[in-house]
Amino acid sequence: MAGISFKNVVKTYDNGVTVIPDLNLEIEDKEFVVLVGPSGCGKSTTLRMIAGLESISEGELYIGDRLINAVPPKNRNIAMVFQSYALYPHMSVYKNMAFALELAKMPKDEIDRKVKEAAEILGLIPYLDRKPKALSGGQRQRVALGRAMVRNPEVFLLDEPLSNLDAKLRTEMRSQISKLHKQLGTTFVYVTHDQTEAMTMGDRICVMKDGIIQQFDTPQNLYDYPCNLFVAGFIGSPQMNFIDATVVEAAEGGYALCFGETKVMIDREELALYVGKTVICGIRPEDFHAEEQFFHGSNVLKAEIDLDEMMGSESYLYLNYAGQKLVTRVPARYAKRTGETIELAVDLVKVHVFDKETELTICQ
Amino acid sequence: MEKKPSHVRTVIAYIVLIILTFLCLFFFYILIINASRHHSEIQKGFSFLPGTAFVRNLKNVLKDANIPVVSGIKNSLIVSSLSAAIATYFSALTAYGLYAYNFKLKKPAFIFIMLILVMPTQVSALGFINLITKMKMLNTLYPLFLPSIAAPAVFYFMYSYMQSSLPIELVEAARIDGCGEFRTFNRIVLPIMKPAMAVQAIFAFVSSWNNFFIPALVISDNSKKTLPILIASLRSADFLKFDMGKVYMLITIAIVPIIIVYIALSKYIVAGVALGGVKE
Amino acid sequence: MDKGKKIKDVSYAKYGYFFIAPFFIAFLIFQLIPLGQTIYYSFFEYYRSGLKIIGPNPVGFANYQALVESGFLKYAGNTIIMWLIGFVPQIIVSLILAAWFTDVRLRIKGKQFFKVVIYMPNLIMASAFAMLFFALFSDNGPVNSTLISLGILHQPFRFLSTVWGTRGLVGLMNFLMWFGNTTILLMAAVMGINPALFEAAELDGCSPRQTFFKITLPMIRPILVYVLITSMIGGLQMFDVPQILTNAQGSPNRSTMTLIMFLNNHLYSKNYGMAGAVSVILFIVCAILCLLVYFTLNADDGMSHGKKKKKARRA
Repeated sequence: MAGISFKNVVKTYDNGVTVIPDLNLEIEDKEFVVLVGPSGCGKSTTLRMIAGLESISEGELYIGDRLINAVPPKNRNIAMVFQSYALYPHMSVYKNMAFALELAKMPKDEIDRKVKEAAEILGLIPYLDRKPKALSGGQRQRVALGRAMVRNPEVFLLDEPLSNLDAKLRTEMRSQISKLHKQLGTTFVYVTHDQTEAMTMGDRICVMKDGIIQQFDTPQNLYDYPCNLFVAGFIGSPQMNFIDATVVEAAEGGYALCFGETKVMIDREELALYVGKTVICGIRPEDFHAEEQFFHGSNVLKAEIDLDEMMGSESYLYLNYAGQKLVTRVPARYAKRTGETIELAVDLVKVHVFDKETELTICQ
Repeated sequence: MEKKPSHVRTVIAYIVLIILTFLCLFFFYILIINASRHHSEIQKGFSFLPGTAFVRNLKNVLKDANIPVVSGIKNSLIVSSLSAAIATYFSALTAYGLYAYNFKLKKPAFIFIMLILVMPTQVSALGFINLITKMKMLNTLYPLFLPSIAAPAVFYFMYSYMQSSLPIELVEAARIDGCGEFRTFNRIVLPIMKPAMAVQAIFAFVSSWNNFFIPALVISDNSKKTLPILIASLRSADFLKFDMGKVYMLITIAIVPIIIVYIALSKYIVAGVALGGVKE
Repeated sequence: MDKGKKIKDVSYAKYGYFFIAPFFIAFLIFQLIPLGQTIYYSFFEYYRSGLKIIGPNPVGFANYQALVESGFLKYAGNTIIMWLIGFVPQIIVSLILAAWFTDVRLRIKGKQFFKVVIYMPNLIMASAFAMLFFALFSDNGPVNSTLISLGILHQPFRFLSTVWGTRGLVGLMNFLMWFGNTTILLMAAVMGINPALFEAAELDGCSPRQTFFKITLPMIRPILVYVLITSMIGGLQMFDVPQILTNAQGSPNRSTMTLIMFLNNHLYSKNYGMAGAVSVILFIVCAILCLLVYFTLNADDGMSHGKKKKKARRA
């Protein structure tokens, strides 16, 4: 039973800078939670507070039912994988993995069994006698995981564990870590700045900015129903397009968002308050369509292609429309080339609308 | 096409280097030659060939009751080894304290050490001797190595080395593994600092071995004298009456062990010198 | 909220104090308190006359006045002259050697050997080295006898009886002991320069001489300043070599008496007031030099550097 809960947690550094003003977060037992956000958003600090590496200025932090503010890291029943792996350079792989157990005065044969078991799972058996220096990046990464595993922690903390690996290895390790989570059945808290990692691995994702949780939800919900402009922009690649649009009452009933010559019809009551005002209209790159069946007259925009990026199965087009930079993802066969003009329809169902001042979602 | 001037420069470079090498080695060559010659041979003039009196000179020096060489070597070894051990261990400890922890006085403490980085100890010698006298440590070896606990230059080297070679995450990993702070220092940090410790231990050893000013003020008892004091006492004795073979032999004893160690470890020492002044 | 504040947290700050405590305690006992005492005594009449101890009686700045009369300025001058005799050739030779060693065009073989050899004198016990020089350069020592047998001299040159002979020997020894160290430091500095810079200079048509003056020298200026200042502090501490070479006399005619030798004499004769005054002046000069070292080293290094790194990691 090891959920984690933050109750009104505040983190202020000695120099007076408050990085986390008031954090409330409930992580459930056996859940894989990803903390994601741009650098400096407080995600690492949050993780390090769980680890006990960073003191808590105010508020309460629980692992399970235990208040752990004053509990030193070794008694928190956690394990952590660091970005740089933090393997002890003067110890062999075996020693690295056994170190914590030795300190806990576990009998030798039990240590041996546990280390071998973890090494087996991670495919490290042939490397047990090597020093970390003699290992490749991926192997070091696995040793770091193994060192955490042998302790049977209630909570696994991972701080950007994949950012030092090359792209191919990263994808591989991503699935390995997900598999490990299922195998071990413990709580995982994973910090990353990479939204792809967050989306692919997390049961739930906690998007943070400036020490404040923006949204804490499943990957699908974050993508489909971002609660504000920041989350909408942060999740998804290429980024969601943001267009300033004016709200008008449509002749046919309902409302329309106008930008340039385009009118996007949206029949949502929430927009009543915004008639005549400017809002931000968010459209994901894949919600522009070049196919005829989406053309409903006014939802079409005609734009010149500034740049085209052929990705193989699909194509990213960078457009300039009414002074706005847009990016769209279209199937490769519809792709036109740089300099040409393209007609695209906006998918009416998938438009997000944000308040220009509060940046909160109005409707989607 | 530019080969010629470069060629000339190479030749000049070699000539200068050979002259300098000669200057550096020549004196030691004479030293060792003369240490092996009879007093009367030395008086007669200079020779490039070694004599036959090496063992005799050595025996004479070791036997001489006025210059207690054996205890001098022993004292020098004790003081220098302890100095080296203390200076490196405590400097690493201090550097680690300032490197790995955040506390209010961290910055002032660091600035303070940097300010006294090259402050010579001679300026406080007067008070030092006074204090030693009051603490009843005059004529003991303690005042010769205990001050090494505070060695700012060694500290600075250790600190720079930690910056480049000791990621803080390693310390944090140890914390999570359940390693206490002191144990982390001794079991994780020290092994990583080994190369830096070795280099600094050599320097600390040598500078303590060669130290003359403070020991000469602290020690007056013959049995506590270190080698440099013995050599100084040789100089103040009536020089002309002295067996020159013994003089050269004593100098040899003072110098040669260091040279042997130096040649054996020269690679690391030279690399260490280069690191000393340069950042990172 | 208030209740939350009272909850203890995990803090490691106290270990920082534990770890640095020995250093500061040792420094306090063996340096700071002695320094305070030294300064204190410098304002007192306090010396031994025969078996009687005079003082301590407060005398204000009388000791400092007496210093000037007892030749302090002359000894300061001696120290500076002998330092310069050693330092000027040292920095020139070191610069040239550093330039040669790092010049890829020259392809000097046995670099490691030369480095090892030129650094060696630095490790030699200065007092033994001085003793050796004394023996070698004495009136009927090997150097004189060689020069005579080669027909260069007709009678022994009495190195240690002439002012410039003795000063020259002290300078020569200082040069020999320190040029290797300086060379290695400067070499490391030159090798720290981005090699692409030298390649660019070569493409731009720089001659080796131009490269040295236009690229190398400006780039290693911080290290040069560091070498200069630390060497000055080393020069101020000059003691072992002239002390042994002249048997604490500073002979001939006190022309090789250095400041520390002067201090040492007062310490031996237990004239604490005067010794204190000499120490204080030395301390002030060294403090200024220490400040300069601090600023050269911290121009872009030290704590600020570490902080930056840490911040980047935390992000």
